[in-house]
Amino acid sequence: MSPPQQPSSTNPNSLKIRLTHRFLHNLNNLNKKRSNLDNTQIHQRYNRVKLAAYASMAHVVGSRRAWSRAILWKIRNRKVSTRHKRVDHKPTNHHHARSIKRRTTNHSNPKREYVDPNGNSGQEVKLRKLVPGVETMDACGLLDETADYIKCLATQVEVMRNLVDLFSTI
Amino acid sequence: MLHCHYTTMNIPGNTSGTDVSVLERQQARMKWQQQQQEGLSNGNDHRFRARVEIKPDPDLQYEWPDFSDACQDQLIPPLMTDHNVKKRKTHEDYKQKAVSKENGVKDKKIKGCSDENSTETSLKEKPKVVETQKQEYIHVRARRGQATDSHSLAERVRREKISERMKYLQDLVPGCNKITGKAGMLDEIINYVQSLQKQVEFLSMKLATLQPRLDFDIDSLIMKEMFEIPAIGYSSEVANSTYFQVNSLLEMGNSPIDTMLRRSTGGPVSIPEAFVLSSCFNQMQPGVTWDGDLHNLYRMEIQQESTTIPFQPHKFTGSYEGSNLKMEL
Repeated sequence: MSPPQQPSSTNPNSLKIRLTHRFLHNLNNLNKKRSNLDNTQIHQRYNRVKLAAYASMAHVVGSRRAWSRAILWKIRNRKVSTRHKRVDHKPTNHHHARSIKRRTTNHSNPKREYVDPNGNSGQEVKLRKLVPGVETMDACGLLDETADYIKCLATQVEVMRNLVDLFSTI
Repeated sequence: MLHCHYTTMNIPGNTSGTDVSVLERQQARMKWQQQQQEGLSNGNDHRFRARVEIKPDPDLQYEWPDFSDACQDQLIPPLMTDHNVKKRKTHEDYKQKAVSKENGVKDKKIKGCSDENSTETSLKEKPKVVETQKQEYIHVRARRGQATDSHSLAERVRREKISERMKYLQDLVPGCNKITGKAGMLDEIINYVQSLQKQVEFLSMKLATLQPRLDFDIDSLIMKEMFEIPAIGYSSEVANSTYFQVNSLLEMGNSPIDTMLRRSTGGPVSIPEAFVLSSCFNQMQPGVTWDGDLHNLYRMEIQQESTTIPFQPHKFTGSYEGSNLKMEL
């Protein structure tokens, strides 16, 4: 039921449209699945909305980009770990699931010192932490991914803002 | 037992390596090349004149190699056993090319001592060296110390790529026109990404609070809208027809978003205005033109409904937006 993919993926207008659809789709699923949480724990819902936002962003871009792949991978791992959590309610398995999650999510973001030969260690390290999936890329690819990530993030922010605005007025 | 010295050559009018125009460098290069060839043709005595003596450059910049008589005797004799002018010329050409390298990393200087040893290998690449020298002539800069040409070439290409990407990022990140330099740009980029992520968090929190009140069952409507209304650019007729459609679907709630999105993505009107327009459509008359009156509509909308959050419909302008949003809530 996903909207048809448009060829000009870097066109911000088409990106926005696709993002909107995808995001609303995800939110809708969210609402349907966890309808029991409607009145409880805004924080949980907030987390899920945030997750839906990033997921929709990553899905729209697909596997073309390293950052979208990293996000999709993280989400998949998180789903697996939560599934483990739900199935086995023993504390040991819970621990195990949590450790799995932590191990896998940290796999793509190991906390290690990266010293750039150019001496830009502080900034590039920070950038690598911010943009998912660029830990092992060279400076050139890093900037490329950052540009794409920024574009998608900005579009996502705009879509969300519009949604909020609309929902607040209705 | 290789000594690395770097020489400086004063080109008239050359104050700093980075500021010299390409043309000036090219002219200097031509001059040096001519001098070099003249020197070579003069005979064996001038064998060493063409030697490039390099001294450490305190300014962290490379300047053109000096065409001085003092030479590196320790380096040369073991390599210049045969007085093959061709070979020497190759070496000179090679070094000239090496000399003409862009501002680079300082520590690569030290590797340059091995350059002397690789002279013989450069002999094979003589035509290639000459060719690449001509191609790279303008763009490369003094660099003594690249083991092979391909390395310096690749490095130069890499740096070009990076600067190209930085320029593209400069366009993406608002408010970065005046910032030059990689460090400042990186700082701005980091700030921008952080602010965007915080915005996403903030807006998702907002959406989470708004969610229970709203019906999100819009998938079918979205698909209907998607296929019924093709995404076209602005035209008042299209806009008017959209209004009628919007009116019919207004009670559904959320589908206006998509229609308005599709309408507004092609034009200058920002989306919040469009949304507000759709929501207050039943109050306004349908004969509204698209272009100028939306601002008026928006203002009237705000006055009429006190519950409307006074959201500013201007485009995102950088990190200021994040703080503004926080202040509003």
